Amino acid sequence: MFAVDAVSYAYLDRFTALDRVSFQVAAGEKVALLGANGCGKSTVLKILDGLVFPDSGTLRAFGQPVTEDHLEDEQFSAAFRGRVGFVFQNSDAQVFSPTVREEIAFGPLQMGLDRDAVEDRIGDIAALTELRDLLDRAPYQLSGGQKKRVALASVLVMNPEVLLFDEPTAALDPRNQQWLLELIVELNRWGKSIVMATHDLDVLELLADRCVVFSEDHRVAAEGAPGEILGDRALLRSVNLVHEHFHAHGSTVHSHEHGHSGAHTHGHEPARTPGEDRPTSP
Amino acid sequence: MSPATPGWLLRPETGLCPCGCLGKRRKGSYVEKTIEGGADLLRRVMFTDDVAARDGLLQRVDPRVKVLGLVALIVATACFRHLSALMAMYALASALALASGLSVAFFLRRVWLFVPVFTGIVVLPTTCSFLTPGTIVVPLGTWFGSPVGLTNQGLTSAGLVVFRVATSISLVVLLTITTPWPRLLDALRSLHVPRMFVLVVGMAYRYIFLLLASVTEMYTARKARTVVDSRDVAGGRGFVSASAGALFGKAHATSEEVHQAMVARGYRGNARTLHRMRLGPFDLLFALMAVVVIASLFGADRLVRV
Repeated sequence: MFAVDAVSYAYLDRFTALDRVSFQVAAGEKVALLGANGCGKSTVLKILDGLVFPDSGTLRAFGQPVTEDHLEDEQFSAAFRGRVGFVFQNSDAQVFSPTVREEIAFGPLQMGLDRDAVEDRIGDIAALTELRDLLDRAPYQLSGGQKKRVALASVLVMNPEVLLFDEPTAALDPRNQQWLLELIVELNRWGKSIVMATHDLDVLELLADRCVVFSEDHRVAAEGAPGEILGDRALLRSVNLVHEHFHAHGSTVHSHEHGHSGAHTHGHEPARTPGEDRPTSP
Repeated sequence: MSPATPGWLLRPETGLCPCGCLGKRRKGSYVEKTIEGGADLLRRVMFTDDVAARDGLLQRVDPRVKVLGLVALIVATACFRHLSALMAMYALASALALASGLSVAFFLRRVWLFVPVFTGIVVLPTTCSFLTPGTIVVPLGTWFGSPVGLTNQGLTSAGLVVFRVATSISLVVLLTITTPWPRLLDALRSLHVPRMFVLVVGMAYRYIFLLLASVTEMYTARKARTVVDSRDVAGGRGFVSASAGALFGKAHATSEEVHQAMVARGYRGNARTLHRMRLGPFDLLFALMAVVVIASLFGADRLVRV
């Protein structure tokens, strides 16, 4: 579906965002792009969506090269935009229309769907994303969680084959997070490919079939199944995805690596090394 | 304590005076008032959304007819030569406000709070016999033996200007307050106002609130860290210019992201929209009434000689 080959990109020709990055995404796959802040995950998503173009290297999508030149072709551009949907991290940038209804209608109208079909789709997608009561609201009247739903609805309404998510659960409350995670899993069951930039290791096993790990020098450090990646402590430490952490279990405060889903559910053994496990009560 | 922890971080700072004495009270600064004004604007806009959703006379009129009708009334207002015609039009605007469920106090305040300040100051000198010679009705004294005062002609022309502005503002307020913003934009689009212009206005309106929220947050963050209000004028100026710079950067970054979000959903420079409006008998009746009112007042205005 996507083939990224030796892609490099630098902002303002000075600040490297990606350095010879290569990976592939197969149809129906859930791929997580993992890495610390600033490692280039969002830039990769923008390249996959044809919003920025590599300084060197190539991107192929659905067997076709994706370049600025190709996207100037109206037919190719319409086909590509219809097949790839991008949910931005910043919902405020994505929700730009005066009302929720118009926001959801924007994509399908640009793709040339007639107004009756667009109205029908708005109804269906509003029901799916629980936005029916908010259709005539202005974006400034919505909460952060509602804006994220609108952003997702405005992309889903175009029925893309691939969904790109940039930090989908960032700044969402637990209820909205859970709702979104369940929907992403459901979308994948319906045949949509998912590519997601995240540094949330807790949701990895649920949301990814495969992980591409980015190092802080903007390269691909590893690829593999979530279990494999989460088990490689040295790798996670080298890309700054886990860190030393101390916390309390009852009366015992102790420290250990933190960063994956089992971090707070592990068992306890008596303190071994002074300074590592510290009882707080006598 | 980690060796990197600075010692001062572990000592408490001096807080409130233990004797409980109170310091000097200071009122909010100009910057604070301006920013609070911005937040207040947001509340007002939300209130106007409520008004636009009410079941009143103007709310039932198709936005396109409303725009054309009220613009025609404004043009007619600009052409009236007699105070009586202008007052009649103002009375009509007030009646429309009442029939549309607007509170009279709100409507009067919205118009008359600013008209005397901005227009009144401009026309005030023209009421004086120095600038508009004529029959003095309010004598103010003599100047080198000549009587000086407010003239009948000056007061009449000042009254004409003030009432013309007040009536025009009233009609604009009626239009904007009884029409939801998206529908007003739709109406402009269907009246063949350039699509790009309407799109830009719509987005500007959308992002004003976002930037307003940013300014308020920046100011609140500064205020939360301001321990002593020392009336630092230079510091205040510095804060305003730094905020303006930060806001400009933020607006630029947002505009780039918005454009990318639009392109990602198929935008290629010609935005298509969902609007679909139909005219009903009520709209035609409103249009007819507007024509009748304009024709009658215009005729009366031209027939009256004085």
